[in-house]
Amino acid sequence: MERSGPIRVMVVDDHPMWRDAVARDLTEAGYDVVATAADGAQALRIVAAARPDVVVLDLQLPDASGVDVTRGLRASCPEARVLVLSASGEQQDVLDAVKAGAVGYLLKSAALPEFLDAVRRTAEGDPVFTPGLAALVLGEFRRLASAPAPDGGDAPTLTERETEILRMVATGMSYKQIASRLVLSHRTVQNHVQNSLGKLHLHNRVELVRYAIEHGLAGASDPGGSQ
Amino acid sequence: MIIPDERARQAQRGSSEPLWRAIAVFRFASVGYAALRVAVIDRADYSRPGWAWAVIAVMTVWTVVTTIAYARPERRTRTLLSVDLAVTACLLLSTAALQYPQAPRHGVTPVTATWLAGPVLAWGVRYGRRAGTVAALIMCGCDVALVRGAAFGVALNGLVLLLLAGVIVGHVARLGAEVEAERQRVIEVEAASRERERLARDIHDSVLQVLAMVQRRGAEAGGAAAELGRLAGQQEAALRALVGSGTGGSADGEAPGAASVPGSVDVRATTLSAQTDRVTVSVPAQPVLLPAAAAGELAAAVRAALDNVRLHCGDNARAWVLVEDEPDRVTVTIRDDGPGIPDGRLAEAAAAGRLGVSHSIRGRLRDLGGSASISSVRGEGTEVELRLPREAGVPVARAPERA
Repeated sequence: MERSGPIRVMVVDDHPMWRDAVARDLTEAGYDVVATAADGAQALRIVAAARPDVVVLDLQLPDASGVDVTRGLRASCPEARVLVLSASGEQQDVLDAVKAGAVGYLLKSAALPEFLDAVRRTAEGDPVFTPGLAALVLGEFRRLASAPAPDGGDAPTLTERETEILRMVATGMSYKQIASRLVLSHRTVQNHVQNSLGKLHLHNRVELVRYAIEHGLAGASDPGGSQ
Repeated sequence: MIIPDERARQAQRGSSEPLWRAIAVFRFASVGYAALRVAVIDRADYSRPGWAWAVIAVMTVWTVVTTIAYARPERRTRTLLSVDLAVTACLLLSTAALQYPQAPRHGVTPVTATWLAGPVLAWGVRYGRRAGTVAALIMCGCDVALVRGAAFGVALNGLVLLLLAGVIVGHVARLGAEVEAERQRVIEVEAASRERERLARDIHDSVLQVLAMVQRRGAEAGGAAAELGRLAGQQEAALRALVGSGTGGSADGEAPGAASVPGSVDVRATTLSAQTDRVTVSVPAQPVLLPAAAAGELAAAVRAALDNVRLHCGDNARAWVLVEDEPDRVTVTIRDDGPGIPDGRLAEAAAAGRLGVSHSIRGRLRDLGGSASISSVRGEGTEVELRLPREAGVPVARAPERA
């Protein structure tokens, strides 16, 4: 990574106690907490100026859905990567946020080292695939495969290898364990995981563009909100 | 529909109050009408007008007494209503001693006139259609006893109307009670679900955050604090499941996991309940529906597998549960990070009569037409895969998502 200086992090959470604790933990661990926000609107207002590498985003904000905030963040500051921090039992919200461009998902109850590691990996562009996220992505590809493709659009599919790896991630195996079980390199496993998420992002962008064209919104703004 | 007794009673009171007031008004008006008949219309037919006026006076007093008595719901007892019926019947029968013997033959109205309908209406409102009918029949019987000869045809009209009044008022009162009960139930359910949503929001914003924090700080501090943190984490998961099941579900108090398709259960909910700080349950975003019985068996098999992990790998072993919804089957995988099962151990255990794993897991799945496979790599934990085929006609959750 051609990074200089500490990783810049922005924390978005409506609960002050939690927000401050997370910010303190990050600061103590040597990360640079460049901004905090209590709601989606505030986050979107300051993200461009704060230019964080990673946005730690709570999905349950008082004013906007996690999906909208994720999309807005990606639009305002494409280089900021979104790490979703959520409570359990919010599967659909997490999946929607990931489809909208979030690259990682961690339970709020995750231990501190796990959390710090997740922030670091997110900053490096390595998707944080918890078992929960792997199961959501697997489920989403299965749903797309079983739903009839809308007017000619090709539903993305996972290769057999990708499915196999995602299932292993979803049952708690580390990349290292998976690599040794499948006799692959750590890097290859990581690539497969990254590809599966990439297909979902791409599919989501294609869907959004299609939606925009159908509803005469094309040209108004880049609906994918990235690049 | 079953209405709990107390609620039905309250509902009946609530909806019948106007009817009781109407009865009181009707009785006063009827006393006035009866007095008018004695004073003017039927004046010539009374052999003992003095006594007739005495009866009118008694009717007035009794009207006041019943109006006051019926004003309070708890005083509308069977005894009071029976006394009311008896007093009215006696006053009606007293006509025989007041009028000239030939009067009933001309179709002269009894001294009580329309007033005799009072207790009939009261019985109808208080105890429903059947009681109203019985009271009306008793009153009709007394009336018939007075009527002689040709006048019967004239009297019959009045009797039929009286009977109708008893039936209809009773029916209306019961209908009103049912509507009122239903209305109260709707209000209660609405209030309960609103309250539940408010609680869920509050808990999410406060208690859950603190518990999550305690869990994290505890784990960092180690030692006794770690144990506290672990407990906080367990409670956080339990509480979250509790409040979470209410917000997503429908308002009429369905069991957690009950899905929108009748008779089917969301496997995600039954499996997620196994989540602890050592057990991670991962599920798809869409409901995974199975018939209730199959989902129950599957959940039991998952529990058995997790119990097995605790038994063989200790309390500190971690386990992961993955729920997958495939077009033709539901797959649940349980993996642990324990030492794994040495080759042949399972067969050995079965031979020795210790059938824990094989019996409760494989047996349950086989009974449902599915299968279970147990694989283990030494040093890399054990993986149990439960596969349950979807039978024809089993609802698929994705259907409404298509478009």
